Order: sequence, then structure tokens, then C-alpha cells
Amino acid sequence: MAGTEHTVEHASTSELTVRRKQRHEGPRNHLLTFGLSIMLTALSFVAVAYALTEDSHVEPWFVSFFIVGLAIFQAVIQLGFWMHMKDKGHGYAIVGIAFGFFVALTCLAAGLLWSWW
Amino acid sequence: MSSVTHSDPHAHHGHGVGEELPHEPERATLEGRNKILGFWLFLGGECVLFGTLFAVYLTLRNSTLGGPSGVELFDLVLVAWATFLLLTSSLTSVFAIQAMHMKNVKQIMFWLGITVLLGAGFLGLEIYEFYHYVHEGHSFSSSAFGTSFYSLVGFHGAHVAFGILWISLLIVQLWKKGLTVVTAPKIYVSALYWHFIDVVWVFIFTLVYLMGRMG
Repeated sequence: MAGTEHTVEHASTSELTVRRKQRHEGPRNHLLTFGLSIMLTALSFVAVAYALTEDSHVEPWFVSFFIVGLAIFQAVIQLGFWMHMKDKGHGYAIVGIAFGFFVALTCLAAGLLWSWW
Repeated sequence: MSSVTHSDPHAHHGHGVGEELPHEPERATLEGRNKILGFWLFLGGECVLFGTLFAVYLTLRNSTLGGPSGVELFDLVLVAWATFLLLTSSLTSVFAIQAMHMKNVKQIMFWLGITVLLGAGFLGLEIYEFYHYVHEGHSFSSSAFGTSFYSLVGFHGAHVAFGILWISLLIVQLWKKGLTVVTAPKIYVSALYWHFIDVVWVFIFTLVYLMGRMG
């Protein structure tokens, strides 16, 4: 049994490195996602802090659209990289969560229309 | 021999860390793959839950009934710290998954432990924040703004609390049973859950705190 295990290990080591290169690219992308998330978050906070200063001339509605855009962008990169949605075999996962987003956005739109008109 | 490694995952049941464990142990069995797919469908349902809570909050956020509004209440420095803690915990749970692909059980437990600690720090800040608000006259029953605020942010906090409990129990299970094709999908799915909680927080700090601070 011990000898068998040894051969198994040998047979899979080269394959393992190949597959790891293909599917697990190491921490680089994940650290980039983290850095980008921190920057997008900081940008949102700074934008609002600036809008709150006395002599700023930016419209609050413009800042709102800007920071919601940043939030959506951050959500997409985290879903893609940290939750591996960009990887192969996530077709049904995308359908599942996209349907959830669709229903959620419909509720949001209904709520906002109801409160605005 | 290699067929043992790849196509007969049930042979690995009950094993600890072994060289024979497949490369992606979370996807090695049909049960594991179905667990991950089912969890994505659950996250779709979670989107609906949080979407409706966001919709209610955005609809009622100005109905303060004479009580303090978001402009007066929200402290962006505190929120920035909470955001930083949760974002970092999302990164450390990625490191746990990478350690799992390296089949290093000690490292998985270490990174999951850091994730739990950062999550607990986030929860501590939130409890402090809520305690502070109640003393300022902003409570669950003070106005429609209060009810919708605590429902949304509180539901997120409850998800964090549940995640802390869940991941802590997974650390205990890893310690007792090691990394197998049974425990691996659980770790993977808990990391998905934790990332999702972080994604929801991105929308909370944007739509509730930052937009609330601008009025």
C-alpha cells in the first residue's frame, strides 16, 4: 500500500502543477481585488466627505450616482474573483444569483417609484 | 493508480490530510458540486431578501417622525473602520480557500480563525454603534426610518453573527476530522457566504451611510 501511494503521488505531482497553473493563479488576483476594493471604498468616502464641505459645488444626486456606480463595480469584481464566478462551470450559479438580483432590483424600483410619485 | 485519485472520491471518506486527496476537494464529489450550486441558488434568494429590505429602507429613510436623521447620526469614521475590518476578513477567507487547495489544514484553520476574529471586531463596532444610536433617540420603534434601518443593518449584522458561529464550528470540525471531500465543500461554501456578506455591506455603506450622510 505504501508503495502504491508513492506512485500515485509521483503520477499526480506534475499534473498538479499544470492544473494549479490553469485554475489557481495564486494570491496575486485576490490581492489585486483587495487593493482595488480598498481604493473604490476610499474613493466613495472621500467623494462624500468632499460633497459635505462648505465650499463644494457638486450636486448630492451626482455624488449618489457616482458612489452607487463604484459600489456596483466593487460588487462585480468581488463576485468575479473572490467568489470565482469568472471561472468555468458557473453557468447555473450566474443564472441563480442574476435572477435574485433581478427580483431585488424590481422591488427597489417599485419602492422608489411608489415613494417618489 | 491515478484513477483512484480522480474518479473514486468515495475512497477518501474519513481520511485526514492525504496526498490522495483530489486537487479541488470541494468539487470532487457530486454531493460537493451540488452543495455549491445549491448555495448559489440560496444566495440568489438572499439577494431578494436584502433587495426588499433596501427597497423599504430607501422608501422610508426620510420618515423620521421628528427624531434624529441619518445626517445627524451617522459617523463615517466608525463606518470606514467597520468596512475595513469586513473587507479584510473577506480577503483572509480567500487565503483559507487557497490553503485548502494547498491541502494545508493548519493554514486553513489559521486563516478561518483570523476571518472569525475580524468578523467579531466588525460586530463589536456595530453593537457599539446601535447602543449609541438608541441613546440618541434612534430606536427600532422610534420611527419608520428606525424600523427600516435596524431591519436592514440588523439583518446584515445577524448574518455576520451566524457566519462567525458557522465558521467557528467548521474550524472545530477541521480540527477533529481533517480535510476530506466531505469537509472541503463546507469550507468553500462558508467562504462564498462570507464574501456575499461583504458584498451586501458594500451596498449598505454606500446606500445607507454615505447617501444618508448627504441627506
